[in-house]
Amino acid sequence: MASATRSTSLWNALRYKGREGMWTWILHRLTGLGILVFLIVHVVETAAVIYFPGFYEEALNLYQQPLFRFAELLIFFSVLYHAANGLRIIVQDFWPYVMQRQRQLTWGVAAVVVLSMLPVSWMMLAPLFGLAEEPGYRRHIERCQEQPDAPACLEAPVATTGEVEL
Amino acid sequence: MVAERGARRQGGGFQKPVGRRSNFELLSWFFMRISGLALIFLALYHLVWWNLVIGVEHLDAQVVIERWNNPFWRLFNLALVSFAMLHGLNGARYSIEDYIRRPGLQLAVKTVVYVIVLGALVVGAWALFTFDPATLLNR
Repeated sequence: MASATRSTSLWNALRYKGREGMWTWILHRLTGLGILVFLIVHVVETAAVIYFPGFYEEALNLYQQPLFRFAELLIFFSVLYHAANGLRIIVQDFWPYVMQRQRQLTWGVAAVVVLSMLPVSWMMLAPLFGLAEEPGYRRHIERCQEQPDAPACLEAPVATTGEVEL
Repeated sequence: MVAERGARRQGGGFQKPVGRRSNFELLSWFFMRISGLALIFLALYHLVWWNLVIGVEHLDAQVVIERWNNPFWRLFNLALVSFAMLHGLNGARYSIEDYIRRPGLQLAVKTVVYVIVLGALVVGAWALFTFDPATLLNR
């Protein structure tokens, strides 16, 4: 059977020296499947906002845990990488002559992802250590002046004035 | 000369397979590229807006409902969720067909994954279609 000859151990698969092409392919798959898993959870939880608001609030409580910030960053990375690498694949498919430069394009993708992840990581992680404001903080304050009763405005404010709660 | 179906092609590969006249794989290839291009803008805008401009820390049901109150954003979300789910489902199909080679098991895993992904798509689309801002804002 043809399928039997295709089977290979994980170790052998990883020792295969496919260089950039192999690793971008593996990462494209992993990020794609990862995004799909999160997407399913995220769509069901957001749909609940209308019919089961209690469930939505519970999901938000989870998303607002500091540890989830790293998950958010992972999602950002996955989508950015999948987008940049996918664009490279499309460009190579439709303009075959750039195939001769596929290795350079791969490093271009890496550069785009790393350069975009730098500011995003700072905006996501710096607030955890008190180095910067939470993303969207000023917008949130303005909103709370207009709608002081909004659920997000009633929660304990995030270290705004340095008050100590007893 | 008409090439014989299933014959080996000079320089590698094969002619169109015997007996399968479906264009499904070609359409799937096109769909991945079209939806992928659309998703670059839709998904990245969505991420930047909710995670960087609004901030997950400041989210509540009211923010989402106010956003959905605008039909444009409901349409945006409908496009995002449909493209993302179908693009993801087709990608999952590629992986399943690559790694699960036993026909019976492959069919079983495919069925489960299709039901979960399409189910989530239906739930998301249903929420967007049946959204009624009038009752929700006065909840």
